[in-house]
Amino acid sequence: MNCQDHLLGGRNPLDVSRRWFLGQCGVGLGAMALRELIAADAQGASPAVVDPMAPKKPHFAPTAKRVIFLFMAGGPSHLEMFDDKPQLAKYNGSLPPAELLKGYRSAFINPDATLLGPKFKFARHGQCGTEVSELLPHTAGVVDEIAVVKGMCTDSFNHAPGQLMMSTGSMIFGRPSLGAWTCYGLGSEANDLPGFIVFSTGSKGPSGGNSNWGSGFLPTVYQGVKFRTGGDPVLYLSNPEGVDQAVQRDSLDAIHALDQERLDAMGDPEIATRINSYETAYRMQMSAPDVMDVAREPQHILDLYGVEPGKGSFAGTCLLARRLLERGVRFVEIFHEAWDQHGNLTADLKKNCAATDRACAALILDLKQRGMLDDTLVVWGGEFGRTPMVQGGSDGRDHHPNAFTMWLAGGGIKGGTSYGVTDDLGFSVVDEKVHVHDLNATILHALGFDHEKLTYRFQGRDFRLTDVHGRVVKELLARA
Amino acid sequence: MTSNRAVATRLTRLRSRVRAFVAFLIAGFCGAAVADDAAAPPLERPIRFNRDVRAILAEKCLACHGPDEAKRKAKLRLDTFEGATAPAATGDPAIVPGDPDESGLIWRITTDDPEDRMPPAKTGKSITPREAEILQAWIEEGAEYQNHWAFIPPERPTTPKVSRADWVNDPIDAFVLRKLEAEGLQPSPEADKTTLIRRLSLDLIGLPPSIAEVDAFLADDRADAYDRLVDRLLESPHYGERWGRIWLDAARYADSDGYEKDKPRFVYFYRDWVVRAFNHDLPYDRFIVEQIAGDLLPNPDQDQLVATGFLRNSMINEEGGIDPEQFRVEALFDRMDAIGKAVLGLTTSCAQCHTHKFDPIEQVDYYRMLAFLNDTDEAAIAVYTPEEQARREEIVRETAAIEEGLRRDAPDWAQRQRAWEETVDKPGPEWTVVRTDVDANNGTGQKHVMLEDGSLVASGYAPTIHIDTFTGLEPVPSVAAVRLETLNDPSLPLNGPGRSTKGLFALTEFHVEVAPADKPNEWREAKIVRATADVNPPETPLEPIFDDRSGRKRVTGPIDFATDGKIETAWGIDVGQGRRNVPHQAVFVLEKPVSFPAGVRIRFKLDQRHGGWNSDDNQNNNLGRFRLSATADPDATADPIPAAARAALAVAPEARSPEQAAAVFASFRESVPEWREANDRIEALWKTHPEGASQLVLRDRERETHLLPRGDYLHPAQVVEPGVPTFLNPPPDTSTLTRLDFARWMVDRQAPTTARAIVNRVWQAYFGIGLTSTSEDLGTQGEPPSHPELLDWLAVEFMDGGWSFKRLHRLIVGSNTYKQASKASPELTARDPYNRLLARGARVRADAEIVRDIVLDAGGLLDPSIGGPSVNPPAPMFLFQPPASYGPKSWPESTGSAKYRRALYTFRFRSIPYPVLQAFDAPNGDFSCVRRSRSNTPLQALALLNEPVAMDAARSLAALTLAEGGSNDEDRITYAFRRCLARRPTDSERRVLTNLLHKQSARFAADAEGAAKLSGAAANPAEHARWTVLSRVLLNLDETITKE
Repeated sequence: MNCQDHLLGGRNPLDVSRRWFLGQCGVGLGAMALRELIAADAQGASPAVVDPMAPKKPHFAPTAKRVIFLFMAGGPSHLEMFDDKPQLAKYNGSLPPAELLKGYRSAFINPDATLLGPKFKFARHGQCGTEVSELLPHTAGVVDEIAVVKGMCTDSFNHAPGQLMMSTGSMIFGRPSLGAWTCYGLGSEANDLPGFIVFSTGSKGPSGGNSNWGSGFLPTVYQGVKFRTGGDPVLYLSNPEGVDQAVQRDSLDAIHALDQERLDAMGDPEIATRINSYETAYRMQMSAPDVMDVAREPQHILDLYGVEPGKGSFAGTCLLARRLLERGVRFVEIFHEAWDQHGNLTADLKKNCAATDRACAALILDLKQRGMLDDTLVVWGGEFGRTPMVQGGSDGRDHHPNAFTMWLAGGGIKGGTSYGVTDDLGFSVVDEKVHVHDLNATILHALGFDHEKLTYRFQGRDFRLTDVHGRVVKELLARA
Repeated sequence: MTSNRAVATRLTRLRSRVRAFVAFLIAGFCGAAVADDAAAPPLERPIRFNRDVRAILAEKCLACHGPDEAKRKAKLRLDTFEGATAPAATGDPAIVPGDPDESGLIWRITTDDPEDRMPPAKTGKSITPREAEILQAWIEEGAEYQNHWAFIPPERPTTPKVSRADWVNDPIDAFVLRKLEAEGLQPSPEADKTTLIRRLSLDLIGLPPSIAEVDAFLADDRADAYDRLVDRLLESPHYGERWGRIWLDAARYADSDGYEKDKPRFVYFYRDWVVRAFNHDLPYDRFIVEQIAGDLLPNPDQDQLVATGFLRNSMINEEGGIDPEQFRVEALFDRMDAIGKAVLGLTTSCAQCHTHKFDPIEQVDYYRMLAFLNDTDEAAIAVYTPEEQARREEIVRETAAIEEGLRRDAPDWAQRQRAWEETVDKPGPEWTVVRTDVDANNGTGQKHVMLEDGSLVASGYAPTIHIDTFTGLEPVPSVAAVRLETLNDPSLPLNGPGRSTKGLFALTEFHVEVAPADKPNEWREAKIVRATADVNPPETPLEPIFDDRSGRKRVTGPIDFATDGKIETAWGIDVGQGRRNVPHQAVFVLEKPVSFPAGVRIRFKLDQRHGGWNSDDNQNNNLGRFRLSATADPDATADPIPAAARAALAVAPEARSPEQAAAVFASFRESVPEWREANDRIEALWKTHPEGASQLVLRDRERETHLLPRGDYLHPAQVVEPGVPTFLNPPPDTSTLTRLDFARWMVDRQAPTTARAIVNRVWQAYFGIGLTSTSEDLGTQGEPPSHPELLDWLAVEFMDGGWSFKRLHRLIVGSNTYKQASKASPELTARDPYNRLLARGARVRADAEIVRDIVLDAGGLLDPSIGGPSVNPPAPMFLFQPPASYGPKSWPESTGSAKYRRALYTFRFRSIPYPVLQAFDAPNGDFSCVRRSRSNTPLQALALLNEPVAMDAARSLAALTLAEGGSNDEDRITYAFRRCLARRPTDSERRVLTNLLHKQSARFAADAEGAAKLSGAAANPAEHARWTVLSRVLLNLDETITKE
């Protein structure tokens, strides 16, 4: 029997080609990408049947099936938002202890910078009694759902390397991002949308640029695809001027028929993948504008997030993220670069929190009311925190990698948790330290992966997100 | 402790088991579980460790019996002959060469006893009977170990005998065919001529053939028509563009700095050098030497300096607040990685932090190699096109001629010059260098370093509008005047003395404050009443790049502009290209000399507010290297003699070099009133000096290298001397090794990996996958080659053929292996999905740049001009603005045909990759890439369907088709089809296209407005529209962007 027989009949090429290659010929879609997977696998696995983005099972039963990462780029001040330090207020204006500063390197401030007391008041919230500052009234309302990680630390005090560290587990360019690792491990359940979607909503783009969502040495299919909230959500989604839907469909039919004929003649599975790519592109053209149209949401949902349709905003993007996750997208990351308060700390934090607090909380509430919070992991945080010492006059803080705060929610995270203890000045973590590697290990764990076993062989080495580090922080998990 | 008796018993048991097992093997046992082995051919003797044994040990044994001491079990290591033959924990050696029966290893892998059986069941691994047979035979033959295959210098293997000798055109075919015969496969028939010319064109020049070229080749029935075609393509200037691009991936070429600022940089001279090097077939050994150490060659020319741009393609971080040293070290690591991947084909980066378990590069080796690269400065030099270079030489020649004329006409010139020298040879005031604090009070994020001579060098982030303050550490007894010297430094653009892209600066204002040494808080401003400088250019408006968007008119000019209290005016030093990058000085006299009983502390405020609005771009106008001094002499003035002449004056006239003599004479002649006309002529000449361009290069300097445990530059360990790893070829026998020795060592005939690495990548470019697929790593963890002898043969041919790429290309494209048709039966696809056996030709989607070039070329839009600054083809503008970009970036869209240049010339911002190229897997240059991904995604479909330039190409192809494609639909379809695919359409393809055309005719006949929009044509829009639709379909076919 001729394999090609199965391709005739004008059926959905996605189904037909997939079935044909999977079932009859033993050759999978995305053979080129697979070729890399196999080439990279020195064990020489059999040419198994793989669409590189087909859903895959992780190592063990996951608690999270999808992730939304709210990347607060620039370095939000833990001292004004989550980590209350009354002693810091008390010592406002005095020099920090000399032994604390031994070997400390800062980006901008002088060695003789004095301590700066917190600018906002804190109170306990929820049943758990987690402390949150007055800047975050909405987040305060959902603290019972979230785990506040106050013991974060990282390796870099500069933005670009710090963001890369958070995104890829390394300050060196060329490593795959967390989103790419996730798609590599799990594939995607979105048929007509990318598996890993990225937004940028701040006043600038992230310092680390595209490498924050790059695929590194993984096949490029796993890299994040940049979406935007206005205009074409994804580049070149709209037809060129004068090409209406009918012309587009006619054109795709002709492309399909001609590619099909070539496939019959040459037998290269790559052509089937191409056919599939064009049909997926067409479906994306049809479906993406619909997904991206937040105006379709009922008013009470818009109000929950604080979204005004037609205005691009962090809040609107959070709502979009939810819509994308509902359609099977595996990983959504929102970069909100706004938190680099070397000066103007008080006013800018008020502004930033006003722009983000309601939406972050709304995302949790909305996911919860849809039953999605149980298996959706929400991560909030930046690349580092800020110094207890002042920068400039009396209203700024410098970059600080030694201690900062992030929070996690949903996806098997134990809500109402507060984890990590910093010293009286919020300078160092003294207990329950969580390095970025530990955070990544924990996120992968929630997704069902042993972070030591999710590896990819490149340059003769089995690389992993957590390098040779990483501890799963069981204390953050609902069931450890 | 094991008793002797127990050992004896075990040995006896072992022997009997082995005998039984081997007898079983020899009897050719056969069962369901081992059916594959039973069918296997007899072992090829002698057993070769690398070919037959290594993989078994690595896979099944070395995890516990390998180099990692911590994980080693039973004190046994099997990765070395010494380890395997030494007594292990049991007291017996695992391997007794020549005696399998006495070898514990054989017993362990064959025993049924689960206690003793290796590998242990819990590992999930087991030794197959075939593997046991191999190990048995290998021990029987003496258990000879071999070094890792890639670390043994390649030797020319003998060409194998094959049964189908008629198919063998060159030894490549013999190696391929032997493997096919062993697998019971036949090669595919030769591809048809049209396929071959398209394949060759895409492979050799990265462009599809024109219809005329296809017709000429089809009509050429000479026996050597194919070879002539190959010659023509290799002589094309586009050949260097195609193959240069592949090297540029490895060289991580990009037009911007990377990291947060990602500012544009000036490196296209390097890109063009690479293209030219390929076009001239620069031998690969020289190609490498010039890139690693071109600056150290005797009398290096501009090209050889430009070539060192290879090393400078590392990213640069100038984000605010960085420690520049940290990112200098990061750049060194990146260079090591690039050399490892691009030249050596070895992973080096693991050894950055620690000695790697499996790889032989030890950490100390790593830092010894790094020491070759550490002795350098990150420089940028002015570079010139050949025409510009000629003009420069003319200026020097004409200046010399005028000066010669002056000397001829004034025979007493030497006497007069000596008299002049005496008048200027005054000791001048006594200056005390004021050493200051460094960045104690500067919060701008720019970092300074103090050199031994007390000068400060700025680096890191470059604020564009700022004031830096420096406070003297030691008091002076009194101060009447201060001096600012601005100095050259190799780390500055074009050697400085400033940090602007031209190495210039503008000093908006200069302030001095004083305080009594015993009352350090009583600072007061010391008013400056007079300023002098050795250069006082006329008032000149700032260049547009320094626009601060204030709307004010801002200027540079004489030194008074630095003391006039106006922020619109600044002291500038630009006297034009050719003479601008030299040291200068200014002297500022205080209203009254200042002295205090305890001494005077001095604070300097350097007001630099003549940069542009965007500090994320190249808009700084800052001081680069400078030194501050004080004097008690209230009559101090700036030395009017240029620094070079002043230095030469210190040398006795008879001892001066020609350059020194010229510098003194030039200074002298300017002082002679009656030579004014000649002086003016020389000035006018210099005004015609070409601006040139800038290029990042490497410059030698002395610097100590330390081993950095865990790669941490803050905690250096012992000093290491330059050196190379011992497992590779030995270095030259000299006492001190230089970077040039390092470069030559890499391309030594005995270098085991260099030639293999590059021929493997050339093979990869042709066949889509290398003979070893892990092109970036030929080390012990890389994939063993599919055709090891072919790889060695190619490497040896390449080296012995003078490291010539063109020769290598002729060998490969001349083989029948290359010429095979790429059609694959389902059976073959299933059996060999990645074509590792080479039973068919390669069918591979073109690289990103070539995809774009094919579309432009098919549409008749391609501007084939070669070289020059990168261009900015149409792109969505929002990409270059926040929040898509970190900072606002400039993307001045190219006009005219420049927007249709080959994709090689597209400006490459690392953080904002050009979207179409990114969609098709072009790397962004963050790090060296020797193997691209090749994805097949919906985003690619969107880019080809909807991107504006692709649409331009469709419209243009339609217009061409209507104008030149014949008079009827059938001819026109054929014409358009051939422009995209070279071949003619089949009947059914023609039917599909005709139907499409007819359907669109009906549509556009009813919708003239839509037709006009779609086609962009003023006349006959409906006709243009339907052909545009058809053209767009053709440009989107899989085959169009694929090499078949």
